[in-house]
Amino acid sequence: MSVEIARPDRLSVLRVNLAQQRRALVWWAIAIALMALLFAAVYPSVRDSGDTFDDYLEQLPDAFRSILGEDLTSPAGYLWSQLFSSMGPIVYLVYAIGAGARAIAGEEEAGSLDLVLATPLRRTVVLRDKALGLVSGTVLLSAVLFVALAILGPAFDMTVPLGDLLAAHAVQALLSLAFGMIALAIGAATGARALAIGVTSALAVLTYLLWALAPSVDALEPVLPLSPFRWFADPQPVAEGTELVNVVVLAAISAVAYAIGLVTFRERDLAT
Amino acid sequence: MASVVVADRLTKSYGSTRGVVELTFEVDAGEVFGFLGPNGAGKTTTIRTMLDLIRPTEGGITVFGLRPRDDAPAIHARVGYLPGELALYERMTALELLSAFGSFRGGVARSRIDALAERLGLDLTRRIRSLSHGNKQKVGLVLAFAHEPELLILDEPTQGLDPLMQQEFYAMIDEARSRGATVFLSSHVMPEVERVCDRVAIIREGRLVTVADVGELKARAVRRLAFHFDGPAPLQAFTSLPSVRDAEAHGDTLRLTVQGVVDPVVKEAARHTVVSMESEEASLEEIFLAIYRDGTHRDASDGDGSDG
Repeated sequence: MSVEIARPDRLSVLRVNLAQQRRALVWWAIAIALMALLFAAVYPSVRDSGDTFDDYLEQLPDAFRSILGEDLTSPAGYLWSQLFSSMGPIVYLVYAIGAGARAIAGEEEAGSLDLVLATPLRRTVVLRDKALGLVSGTVLLSAVLFVALAILGPAFDMTVPLGDLLAAHAVQALLSLAFGMIALAIGAATGARALAIGVTSALAVLTYLLWALAPSVDALEPVLPLSPFRWFADPQPVAEGTELVNVVVLAAISAVAYAIGLVTFRERDLAT
Repeated sequence: MASVVVADRLTKSYGSTRGVVELTFEVDAGEVFGFLGPNGAGKTTTIRTMLDLIRPTEGGITVFGLRPRDDAPAIHARVGYLPGELALYERMTALELLSAFGSFRGGVARSRIDALAERLGLDLTRRIRSLSHGNKQKVGLVLAFAHEPELLILDEPTQGLDPLMQQEFYAMIDEARSRGATVFLSSHVMPEVERVCDRVAIIREGRLVTVADVGELKARAVRRLAFHFDGPAPLQAFTSLPSVRDAEAHGDTLRLTVQGVVDPVVKEAARHTVVSMESEEASLEEIFLAIYRDGTHRDASDGDGSDG
């Protein structure tokens, strides 16, 4: 005798996850659009005082120059040095690490994961949908910045080729997704949200420093490829676009983290 | 009839104290099975192994003949679960939450949700976070019952419910039983188990003390009685009655501890003028003591004496 078994609706966890993220995503989107407006609005005055900035750059230590690039006043140089080399990734990392840690560990700590996993959903499906929720949020917020800069840029004489702008957003999204997925995996493996946020943030800071300091510290040069930021930043994407290998490496970090999360989450006891 | 739940030397060890040790019991199809024990005895641990939320350290458990580890989705499709510590999506309305969890089951009939909500007096438009503890518990009950599962696993289901809602809940259990469902109900209060269960497993400190028919347990149950007479309380006649465990007299009041049927005591009392009487339900602890005294605690008899 075979019993007809109820199956979950397709992507039901993703849909619920997006509904839960909706309010936060709206605020993130507003903040990001305002950030784009601010950076675009300031650009004309930066360009007009170009020489001052170039002098300023001359005085900076090598490490800072390697982060900021050699050119602060062209549209691509400005966007890179002021936005994509610091503020941009920070914003997206904060979102992605928070959302990744909340995905499994946050829900487990809140206690509602017991109820979710007492339905016919497989653990792997729950993890997959939560990861898709993280991807969706990251892509959505990246699209907001891309569209805002694509529209606002020309309005403030800050025009960069759309292909390069898209490439910069793509590697920035992949970079934040990599850390978001690491946070998700640590949360899935341990059920501890604060731990996932702490370890992942520490990892992000350390690999950022590795990337920033490697050009001026010879000993760091050989391990530079271990930093996801290297694959984000070189070639400087706003000016030169990016390369396939960069995309592959960044995506591979997410994929490996996801796989580790999947295996560990399937095997362990849930916390009460 | 086939067993719906079979625990075979089920053991779950945590670092030190909590957990369960070699639980063996079976829950028959169509029965209401009580799982009685004080808080921290291992009830929730046992329930969570049935649902594959945690995995046994030793021994095993099957539900519908399936191992939770291998077939969790197939088991879950046929189970309604109310956790002991209910945590819901606080920002959703009750209806949004019930629809969300419905979608995890491939859809649950809206009419069932409405009917249960109406019955329990639950306003589905309210946000979860604005609900009282009792009302959240009602959401949990709707969640467990809405898809008419074959097996209901209910962990301390009546906590937070007012007496009227408790009666409604007992009626829902009776109805589930009459449509052929099996119910596994954990509780730390004896009267609740007496009211709804056919059989009961008693668990203490992670170990199974006994599995018994509720009727049988009642017959063994300890009760405290007090009689107030219109004159000095007669003590002598009562101390010799076989069911009386303990008796003392103060002025016109006689206090007795009675195990099992109270009939001989009442008949003896009736030979005098009884002004009033009180009967007090035995506490869980007293029930345990009575069971231990009867020697039904298996581990105590076949142990190696290391603790004695």
